[in-house]
Amino acid sequence: MARSTPALGAFPSPFSIEPPPDCAGWEEMYPYYALFDEHRRETDENRFWFWNSMHFPVPMPAFDVICIDSPYQAVGAWQNRVFAVPPAMGIDYRIVNGYVYISGNPVTDPAMIAERAGFFQARAGYYYENWTELYGKWRAKMEALIAELGDLRVPALPDYEPDEVAFGDHRNTAFYELLDAYGRALRLCDLMWQHHFEFLLLGYGAYGTFVEFCKGHLPDIPDQHIAQMVAGIDVLLFKPDSELRRLARLAIEKALDAAFVEGRTPDEIDAELAQSEAGRRWLAELEKVKDPWFNMATGDGLYHYYRSWLDDPSIPYAALIGHVAALKAGEQIERPTAEIERERDRLAQEYGALLDEESRQPFHDLLALSRTVFPYVEEHKFFCDYWFLTKWWNKIREFGALLAQHGFLEDGEDVFQLSRHEVASALDELVLSWATGGQPAGPQHWPPIAARRKRILDRLAAWTPPPALGVTPDAVTDPMTIMLWGVTTERVQEWARQQDGGLVLNGAAASPGTVEGIARVVRSVDEVADIRDGEILVCGSTSPAWAPIFSKIRATVTDVGGVMSHAAIVCREYGLPAVVGTGSATARITTGQTIRVDGSEGVVTLLVGEEGE
Amino acid sequence: MTAPGAAPVARYSRSLSTLSRADEPRFGGKSSGLGELLSAGIQVPAGFALCTAAFRTFLTEAGLQSLIDERLASLSPDDLGGVQSACAELTEAICSAPMPAAVQEEIARAYGELGGHSSDAAAAVAVRSSAIGEDSESATFAGQQQTFLWVAGAHNVIDAVRDCWASLYSPTAVSYRARAASADRGPASVALGASGASGATGPPAMGVAVQVMVDALVSGVMFTCNPVSGDPSTIAVNASWGLGEAVVGGEVTPDEYRLSKVTGEVLHERIGDKLVEYVAAPGGAGTVRRDVAPERQNLRCLSDTELRALVELARRVERHFGSHQDIEWAIARNGSSPTNLFVLQSRPVTAVPKRDQKPPASTAIALVMSTFGVDPAPRDT
Repeated sequence: MARSTPALGAFPSPFSIEPPPDCAGWEEMYPYYALFDEHRRETDENRFWFWNSMHFPVPMPAFDVICIDSPYQAVGAWQNRVFAVPPAMGIDYRIVNGYVYISGNPVTDPAMIAERAGFFQARAGYYYENWTELYGKWRAKMEALIAELGDLRVPALPDYEPDEVAFGDHRNTAFYELLDAYGRALRLCDLMWQHHFEFLLLGYGAYGTFVEFCKGHLPDIPDQHIAQMVAGIDVLLFKPDSELRRLARLAIEKALDAAFVEGRTPDEIDAELAQSEAGRRWLAELEKVKDPWFNMATGDGLYHYYRSWLDDPSIPYAALIGHVAALKAGEQIERPTAEIERERDRLAQEYGALLDEESRQPFHDLLALSRTVFPYVEEHKFFCDYWFLTKWWNKIREFGALLAQHGFLEDGEDVFQLSRHEVASALDELVLSWATGGQPAGPQHWPPIAARRKRILDRLAAWTPPPALGVTPDAVTDPMTIMLWGVTTERVQEWARQQDGGLVLNGAAASPGTVEGIARVVRSVDEVADIRDGEILVCGSTSPAWAPIFSKIRATVTDVGGVMSHAAIVCREYGLPAVVGTGSATARITTGQTIRVDGSEGVVTLLVGEEGE
Repeated sequence: MTAPGAAPVARYSRSLSTLSRADEPRFGGKSSGLGELLSAGIQVPAGFALCTAAFRTFLTEAGLQSLIDERLASLSPDDLGGVQSACAELTEAICSAPMPAAVQEEIARAYGELGGHSSDAAAAVAVRSSAIGEDSESATFAGQQQTFLWVAGAHNVIDAVRDCWASLYSPTAVSYRARAASADRGPASVALGASGASGATGPPAMGVAVQVMVDALVSGVMFTCNPVSGDPSTIAVNASWGLGEAVVGGEVTPDEYRLSKVTGEVLHERIGDKLVEYVAAPGGAGTVRRDVAPERQNLRCLSDTELRALVELARRVERHFGSHQDIEWAIARNGSSPTNLFVLQSRPVTAVPKRDQKPPASTAIALVMSTFGVDPAPRDT
């Protein structure tokens, strides 16, 4: 990795990237196959790799690599081996300085493309025809999976096994139970990712086709209008916030609004409410809402950092404070669903009427199909990325706590500094030494490793990854890359130009309007709380789980993202100008800088203040 | 035919509000188009129209037809010098020939009625030629048509009518007809004269429209589709200060707005450098071009309310005609939106944008399949 190689094309060669200072050895955190290595150099150097900052905006902790492996195993399995998408197999990834770069594997042989088309038409056709029924089963599967995760017990290691083990027929000892539970926990995560991708390609594909159809026939149509025509009325993702709005109204009706003071912690608010009968009844109502609606994540769920609202209620409480204040100011805070529905049908009818005769039927059919698939597109994140994953990270924390309890880790949270295979190894030794009564090596072995990796991750976080590596492609043809990441030929060429620097960033016009304001660069979820009223959010990618802070900010700029991401949809719902897929906004813009965001044209202009480092 | 109570029978003129598309052969595209708009309930400045018979009576009584035939018959359209001197002679002859008394009286009476309630001063009007022929209102043809603004007093209106007629024999108009004829029949048979031909290239005839002036604070042009991409969901507006000449003549960089026909929202706007404007000349005869005060040059010249009124207007005009329209409009200095918004002209969008980049028609599922790289079934070629 440290060898210097001339850059190929406009982007650096993946083999030319040096580690940041004091980060030597970062590779130990990652599997051998995740690294650019000399044996694959010939191929890898001549491919186009782009930083997946949408899903992996910060350096990967060793354990979190499961959320790279498992999704790419799952997406590849469905795309390449089940549906056999004709021109695209799966997605390869590599890690450089802790950041994840990805590259699709194309199918180029026309005979193979034709062969795959046969599979695809039959199998995808079946899904589209039976979508609602299949999606109903999918939800049941996800709820069962989440229930199983909830039931999964991480056994303690007792000094003496209970009598049942000695006298009963069906009890295993704790060593087996613990290893079994860990193995099962990993498998449940794999299963979640398998479910996650079952519908994703087809769902986004149908919606994406409608978007392209609209833009082909109505080049000026705002993305927002397309989204409005398709979006559900009773959207699950908006449910948590709408429950908060309801609770805010309830607080005012019961004259409890004085408790919701800006700057108070959730505990302080709870303490005040607990003093009155009405307050206690309100708290009981809040408890009912928490399952399942507080299973929202504070971020886009692929890192263990992202906790749920249950773990960290500061986001929902901040939203409650805001809603109470808005209600007191006489504002209407509920989503006007009847109006949204009327407008959605009016838009569909008017746009349909503007089209010529032969385009009108496909327009309405594609719209109908998009509406059919959209519940999955909108809801899968809540089930998978938020509800399941936040609970799952907590399950892994239980294993971490056990390791810490036995001295294998200084702190249970350090479990995320070990790879999942290292954790398996540590648990192996833990149950071995528990069983034998011998002296474990783990307490000397693991803590320094965890400490070293935390230091490396901190330093890697300050490094700015280039938006892409390797060869600039003549054209981006992979449908998934375009659809899921918004990485188009134009976008890549724009990134290549930006390697030269400048004061203007171009991206996709995701939500219309123009504002100027102070930038707030948010690289990780911990920084979300720093956002002040009226700032412009600049981040790797926005997350719909941040919904409540969208009422504070004036605009959004992201490094990666297309108009179909959940992020863009929620942004438009809040009527905020947004430019997505700029490639390097978080690198080029610094907090405090004044920027102008033109969400209608997809342009971000850096006005005053210092350029990013 | 005539307004109730009007004693004399009008032979040469009608109120614009009584005209419709069917009157095009006699009154020309401009006048009949304005009549259509009025009958659709769209606000157009009040006025009257002269029919082609007025022009023919004029030619006959002044004995000009034979002069015209003679001067043009022997000309080749490639003989630019010859065309120019013949045209100069014909223009001079038309402008100095007397107006037939019957026509003159009708113009004076109709003009007097426009003055209506304001007896204090003679009404300022616009006198515009209203050409006959299939593409008479097309953008390419329109450039040759005459407009006289801020004409006041019956005598001046009559002069302006004659000037409109004379514009039929401007070098541009004569060459245009020659080219059109040559495209129809080949260059060998080109005759610049008036006789013997028919249709758009036949004996030229012209109507005239006379309308009350709109003292425009802002005016401009709008297309009821995207003029570049052809997007039917877009309304494209160009606007600048003063009368529309500055925009139509390309003398300013106008404000550009692109609006959604569906929701009325502004999709895109670019504020232009509006350095000059045309306004009524001091004293009330004709117009003057003047510099726009520096602080107004880069000021957005339309409010959101006015833009909304334009969207509503565009929708109504397009709905009435059933095709994309190119609309000239003006907002009067006095009054408030939307009642101060007038349509000066509407015609079909001519240079219809090429839409061959449009995705081919297909079924929804075939389109989804092609997103995933499944080629549509081979089609017959």
